[in-house]
Amino acid sequence: MKKECIDIAIIGGGCAGLSAALSAKQAGAARVVVFERAPELGGVLRQCIHNGFGIHRFGEDLTGTQYARHLVDQIRETDVQCLTSTIVLDLSAERVLTVMNEDGITEYSAKAVILATGCRERPRGALAIPGTRPAGIVNAGTAQRYLNLEGYLVGKRVVILGSGDIGLIMARQFVLEGAHVIAVAERLPYSSGLMRNIVQCLDDFDIPIYYRSTVTRIVGENRVEGVYLSEVDACNCPIPATERFIECDTLLLSVGLIPENELASQAGLALLPFTGGPAVDDSFQTGLDGIFCCGNALHVHDLVDFVSIESEIAGRMAAQYTLAPTHRDCEVVHVHDGPGVRGIVPQIIRRNAAEAQVTLQFRPDTRYGACYIEVYEGENRIVRAKRAVLTPGEMVEIKIPRAKIHADITVKVTTVFT
Amino acid sequence: MIVDMYDAVIIGAGISGAAIANALARYQLRVAVFEKASDICGGASRSNSATVHSGHDATYGSLKAHYNVLGNAMYDKLCDDLSVPFSRNGMILFATSEADKNEIVRLKQNADQNGVPGVQVLNRASLLALEGSFGEEVIGGLYAPSSGQVCPYSLVIALCEHAAENGVSFFLNTAVLRLEKQGEGYLVHTARGSVQTRFVFNCAGVYADEINNMISGNHFHITPRKGEHLILDKKLAPYVKATISQTPLDLPSGGHTKGMGIMPSVDGTIILGCNSCDVVDKEDTATSEEGISQIIRFFEENWRHLPIHSAVPSFPRHLIISAFAGLRPHPDTDDFIIGEAADAPGFYNMAGIESPGLTAAPAIAQELANAFAQQHHIPVSEAYCPTRTYKKAFRNMTAEEREQALASDPNYGHIVCRCEQVTRADVLQAIHSPVGARTVNAVKMRTRAGMGRCQGGFCCPEVVELLSKELGIPMSEVTLNGAGSEVIPYEIGSFETV
Repeated sequence: MKKECIDIAIIGGGCAGLSAALSAKQAGAARVVVFERAPELGGVLRQCIHNGFGIHRFGEDLTGTQYARHLVDQIRETDVQCLTSTIVLDLSAERVLTVMNEDGITEYSAKAVILATGCRERPRGALAIPGTRPAGIVNAGTAQRYLNLEGYLVGKRVVILGSGDIGLIMARQFVLEGAHVIAVAERLPYSSGLMRNIVQCLDDFDIPIYYRSTVTRIVGENRVEGVYLSEVDACNCPIPATERFIECDTLLLSVGLIPENELASQAGLALLPFTGGPAVDDSFQTGLDGIFCCGNALHVHDLVDFVSIESEIAGRMAAQYTLAPTHRDCEVVHVHDGPGVRGIVPQIIRRNAAEAQVTLQFRPDTRYGACYIEVYEGENRIVRAKRAVLTPGEMVEIKIPRAKIHADITVKVTTVFT
Repeated sequence: MIVDMYDAVIIGAGISGAAIANALARYQLRVAVFEKASDICGGASRSNSATVHSGHDATYGSLKAHYNVLGNAMYDKLCDDLSVPFSRNGMILFATSEADKNEIVRLKQNADQNGVPGVQVLNRASLLALEGSFGEEVIGGLYAPSSGQVCPYSLVIALCEHAAENGVSFFLNTAVLRLEKQGEGYLVHTARGSVQTRFVFNCAGVYADEINNMISGNHFHITPRKGEHLILDKKLAPYVKATISQTPLDLPSGGHTKGMGIMPSVDGTIILGCNSCDVVDKEDTATSEEGISQIIRFFEENWRHLPIHSAVPSFPRHLIISAFAGLRPHPDTDDFIIGEAADAPGFYNMAGIESPGLTAAPAIAQELANAFAQQHHIPVSEAYCPTRTYKKAFRNMTAEEREQALASDPNYGHIVCRCEQVTRADVLQAIHSPVGARTVNAVKMRTRAGMGRCQGGFCCPEVVELLSKELGIPMSEVTLNGAGSEVIPYEIGSFETV
């Protein structure tokens, strides 16, 4: 087997991987290699032909493909090596990667590794929806790929289960392509996607969304012939009397994204229940020395811009690590999810790191109107920020001055009573 | 399309049809297999608990008991010859009450009568020594070491491919509509034309009654008996070794199944099930809300008894990756129906092959084929090759084997399905094998592409593309499982847009 030694191995050539590679390079890392399993760089952005990308990061409204092009163009100007059609088969805690492509299998030893493996869609099986298993049950992202990369529609009468962003985007696109989107069913009383997508993709196209509803049965032998939609009660159990049949040929699923962390697990990292990613400190280093994680592999983001911003920090930190791997010796405190908070990232803060501020991100457990985000150190509140609205579809960010942190902290959401 | 004259026609390509095709391939016979579905192994043989039963619970003196024990003993060599994954992981029935214990003692006696090797009644201490931390309420159990797990569709596919390599012809999408006695033999009318044959083997699963009743006055009835299963993520594989089942005494379903069990599949996923429910529609493989809930409820309630609970304290509902249902062909005689119909010479039944049919089928086929060949003085074929041409799947290769394979074929260097590590070379092989895959599901069964965590979300588009290219058909004509199930039926621009 061929063997190579490199400075930074970046697994995944999507937004996270490319952003991390660029900043690692800028921070002085020597040999940076990006491993991408698809034939082209860009990840899921390649199939996102809609706009709404880049406003925060690049200050302009781009399509996903343009955003990817931006990153790829910048990468081309560096000496970052991008190996496409290349899969990482194995990753060890000692940062040895077994990598394969059509030229053969190579073992790379890296000073630092950045896991930027993205996420995958939750499939139908995970929901265990009763019924048959015909053609026409498709994940929204898969349908997006068929449409935007291959040029095919999966059906013409569509019901969408779940109101994740990809599902909402696809609802609009199906209508634009001449298909009929009959309904979107969402089990929760609110959407799990961005508010702007509800408005721009459903409301503007008169597509009804039924909250507190779910698909309780799939009918059809060869192809989907219809689904049963039921309302759910307070315990999320379907109410049989409300069951109604909707004729359709396609059930699109947009029921959540799961960080793709098979390699992280192989290396021995535990995955956290709410984020689905490994625990990291505020340099995005995991519990394994020199292994960093960022982007949707760490926690599912709402906007790609924030993936870029996070991954740029991870890239810079990984570069620093390769130049002087010392900052692991510093004193750390832990960050805990308090009431209302789910999946806070990072979970560990280095007390004496150089950056003056620490940024924490999380999803609220439900919808909130006017509320405070509060950070407590024991009984002592060290930060409080007011927000007009919080929704699980949108990531919440809060900054804390590092100087204020002395011990473990807990982040809470509290309602403002007026 | 179909040549007009065969010596033997086999109806159905499940485990029974595959096993008899493979057994008849040893003889100088022209054999054709007619399968109504778009692929082999579409029925009960695909959707079951994948257990190679020991035979401890089959009624003494029944055909089920006889062939179960015989078939079980054949599995090591059979799977070795055909390169099919098989593990003799043993089965434990755990007891939590005195009534369970009495039932276990009865089953032990039954197992001894049936000639099942090595069955033991274990007290709690021995049970813990054998399999680890059963829950505190578990007082003992029955251990059947000869029980195993196989990949049922890999076995059926291997049997069919091996038969095809030895000259058996397979016809998919070829339902048998009518049988007619003609001279010494039969005229078989199919959806794709009619053929003459000397002998007919009825291996039609849930439809075997309809086929038999077309030609024999000795009618029987097959009831489709639905069994539902859940599949859990491979993450749990380290915690499930033996197949573990409840003592069937307290079955909620009235004794139609061997009880709820937890089975480690040979591929690493965990199978849970199954329940049992008689249905009318022979194509009704839909899972039901009640059925899935029943299985989940059982495991939520009984999880604490299983050794896995020490590592995974409560039932990991979030690790369910799929649910499926299969229809077992339950005969009204309650036993296998095997052999020549008394009033239809040359017409052989292999019918009602419900559980433990997967285990028994190879033994039934061997005995039936031998007796048949003797009866009709059919000579053994000299061209017969006992081993199957087989290329190891990439995912099962060692590091050295992977490098070698890749050096000779760059298609091994491209992963199509990342969850199950299926390469382009594996998919191409599945398409070009002797009974080649023609659909996405057929590729899935042969390679596991799409069976992993993402359930095909990432690999399905590429499988569709490869099928389109290799079969020379447009992408829009590639199906999931036969006509009417096109994956991406409409090209962009097919509809009038807003």
